[in-house]
Amino acid sequence: MSAPLSVENLSVVYRVAGGILQAVRDVSLSVQRGEVLGIMGESGCGKSTLAAAMINLLPVGAEIRQGGVRINGTDMLKLPPAAQRALRGQSVAMVFQDPMTAFNPVLTIGRQLADFAGAHDPARATPDRLVAMLARVGIPNPARFLDRYPHELSGGMRQRVAIAAALLMQPDVLIADEPTTALDVTMEAQIIHLLRDLRTSFDGAIVIVTHHLGVIAELCDRVAVMYAGEVVEEGTVDAIFHAALHPYTRALLACDPAVVDPSSGRLPTIAGRIPDLTALPPGCAFLTRCTMALPACHNPPPRVLLAEGRSVLCHRVQP
Amino acid sequence: MTPVLDLQNLSVDLPLGGFLSRARLTILQDVNLTVARGESVALVGESGSGKTTLARAVMGLQGMSGGEIRLDGQPVAGKAGLARLRRDATMMFQDATASLSPRLTVGYLVTEPFRIHRQPLPDPDRMARDLLATVGLPAAIARRYPHELSGGQARRVGVARALALRPRLVIADEPTAGLDVSVQAEVLNLMADLRRDMGLAYLIITHNLALVRHVADRVAVLYLGRVVEEGPTAEVFAAPAHPYTASLIAAEPKPDPRRRRADLAIKGEVPSVLRRPSGCEFHTRCGLVQDICRQNAPDLHPTTTGRLARCHFADQNQEQGDHHALEH
Amino acid sequence: MSSAVDDITLPARRGIGRALLRDPMGLAGLVLVVAFLAMALLAPWIAPYDPIALNVKAKFQPPSAAHWAGTDHLGRDLLSRIIWGARLALGISITSVGIAGALGLVLGLVAGYGPRWLDSALVLVFDSMSSLPMIFFALAVITVLGPGTTTLILVIVLVSFPSYARLIRTQTLSLSGADYILAERAMGAGPVRIIFRHLLPNVVGPMVILICMDIPVVIMLEAGLSYLNLGVKPPSPSWGNILAEGYNSLRQAPHIVVIAGIPLVLATLGFTFLGEGLRDVLDPRGAGRRWT
Repeated sequence: MSAPLSVENLSVVYRVAGGILQAVRDVSLSVQRGEVLGIMGESGCGKSTLAAAMINLLPVGAEIRQGGVRINGTDMLKLPPAAQRALRGQSVAMVFQDPMTAFNPVLTIGRQLADFAGAHDPARATPDRLVAMLARVGIPNPARFLDRYPHELSGGMRQRVAIAAALLMQPDVLIADEPTTALDVTMEAQIIHLLRDLRTSFDGAIVIVTHHLGVIAELCDRVAVMYAGEVVEEGTVDAIFHAALHPYTRALLACDPAVVDPSSGRLPTIAGRIPDLTALPPGCAFLTRCTMALPACHNPPPRVLLAEGRSVLCHRVQP
Repeated sequence: MTPVLDLQNLSVDLPLGGFLSRARLTILQDVNLTVARGESVALVGESGSGKTTLARAVMGLQGMSGGEIRLDGQPVAGKAGLARLRRDATMMFQDATASLSPRLTVGYLVTEPFRIHRQPLPDPDRMARDLLATVGLPAAIARRYPHELSGGQARRVGVARALALRPRLVIADEPTAGLDVSVQAEVLNLMADLRRDMGLAYLIITHNLALVRHVADRVAVLYLGRVVEEGPTAEVFAAPAHPYTASLIAAEPKPDPRRRRADLAIKGEVPSVLRRPSGCEFHTRCGLVQDICRQNAPDLHPTTTGRLARCHFADQNQEQGDHHALEH
Repeated sequence: MSSAVDDITLPARRGIGRALLRDPMGLAGLVLVVAFLAMALLAPWIAPYDPIALNVKAKFQPPSAAHWAGTDHLGRDLLSRIIWGARLALGISITSVGIAGALGLVLGLVAGYGPRWLDSALVLVFDSMSSLPMIFFALAVITVLGPGTTTLILVIVLVSFPSYARLIRTQTLSLSGADYILAERAMGAGPVRIIFRHLLPNVVGPMVILICMDIPVVIMLEAGLSYLNLGVKPPSPSWGNILAEGYNSLRQAPHIVVIAGIPLVLATLGFTFLGEGLRDVLDPRGAGRRWT
């Protein structure tokens, strides 16, 4: 059986005034049922572009240069627009950072959930089913909840409703782009717990895109670390957090204020900036910031496959 | 020694709206807080706790319904008092890019405090260069416009501008919000350096506990507009006296998959200030709630170790926290 | 879907001028507007004849090598009258819209950032001004003050400033809660500095667009009122007067009306296109174009 979601050699560019900006470069990933994949990286690494490409909803100016996005084995990018729309919502669903923008402010929650479900399959739009789904995402008094408007809800509640909406059609893949970034610590913890519970009860794949290392560590089974549009390291969450091999992953983990002992004084940092994505160097993109660079690093780094689902893009790593 | 900032019974309420309605909503209630010279105090709370309102009230951007603000022991009153406050205390906003006027260059923006307070500015270009150098930015940034800056650069420009008139107090509203971890580390290091070099005092408003641990000497925890716990950061984190503080600490995601939390640290949501719970306002979410908590509101009182907590069982909680800490 | 591009550092926006030049409509508008401005400014040098010199012997001549656009019922050279007419048309419209714009800008800023009572008072003024039907108001003022260029400018200013003021007020109100305005207040900046240095540059954009779109309306109004003998007094070569006189001699010389209509159409198109082009470049809602 094919994986619910697999991305194959995907490259995405933006046409900008200064030329061609390479946002995602030759990314290959796949997620299995019941698995949570974390895509981790800092601003400009291309993680949100990758997430948008996974449901082929890229912003204006973005263009897929090569590669494919397979949903249950079918390449979505090759389907006609109507078939893609049917796939979105039914097989792949997405949850955004700010759930407020995902709702229509003048319609009640119940109406929107019913419209959304009804558009794909009217049988699923019954009030009983909606109430059951809201209860499943931990909303108290779900029956009364259907009559409320989006602005009456807190950020945490809206995010729960957004997740309920995404799950209504029982998709095979749920993609969440920074699902907790707009929330307070306590709400963040609650959403993490909800997603963790869903992993066991919902028979699909979950992709979490975030820059928050804590969220990745709490929630994910496998992690892909992105830098300058590439996946520089991929592995189990334990391998990434406890046996990272790529110098960027190590540096990133080392400078998180949540990890560093407060009594140690200064926090470590990563010197320099990400390279200009419109004029990338031929060699390793991390070279100018790397403290362990070799002369060979001026050449494109090899993707070293260490095990199934464990790879590193670095000259220093030996297979 | 007189503290730089001394808030005495600071209260803020807002009109509830409605035709001819005189009802008012309490946002902040009798907040007492001091920041000593060169000290760094963090104010922690969830959204709706009133922490941003407090920052705005201190800067005179939000009217107060009661209480007093003292700067260096002198009450802030009238136009002259406000002008003095806005010269000696500056504010860093949460969204650094949005807090920079979009049609002006960085060079103008960082030197603007001199123009506002009519301080001598013989060579604006040079002053801009020096201020930018203080925060580790190249002089060329002076010619850029705010939308041309990255998040980290905008944050630094905000710091440079806040430092222009050599203030003694900086109020920082979520100074690391929206920044990547590596940039967060840079900003925190910069804040630490400036504190050491210029003797700055900080009032840091945040919900990021990692940040509090790194930069704050003291921490005050705000819940529904009241301080529920206050004390030295290390002690509060080691053995919180208020269950709310304990839940906040437990809710923080740990960047280590081997230390995943098994249970939900805190249930429910912050109650609305329109319907404040009876008794202890935290009782609706507290895991240790007793009957007394539903009826009697606890005062903010000193614990056995001299910290302040608004809980009937503050001393027990604190002891348990200490035992807990010893076990690990 | 903006979140997908938020994590990409985009190069700085290019200048407004260059963006306008890349937009074919904006470019066409700019060319036409510049041509009319040149015509207006250089009228004494480029007009082949005196626009009011009579030559009754040569009346109603069709276009020829001597008179490219022909002559009118008094033998005056039409091309020269049209060129001088541009001076009048643009002079009146730019002056009046400029004054109205400046007035609207200042009043809108004060209403938007000033105290509540002042805002209420000013909004009352704006609303009552714009509730007057434009053409009847214009006729009333002209009846009282008599026709002429000054009256025309006064009428246009009074009729059009409220719409600018309201636009600026709305913009100011929405910006006065912006973080950078709060930041300026927190630094101790006073209202004058905030209004003129921080609010003004951020609210004028949409008004510039509106002004561009309004200039053709004013040119048409001037032509219309002059045609009715309520605007610029003959024999001044206003486009409205040329049209009015041409209409009287429609049977003898139909070319007059046709030729006199051309500059009106072109000027209207020019300013409208320029306004449209500016809107695409300046309007924040067009920000999607930044990614392309």
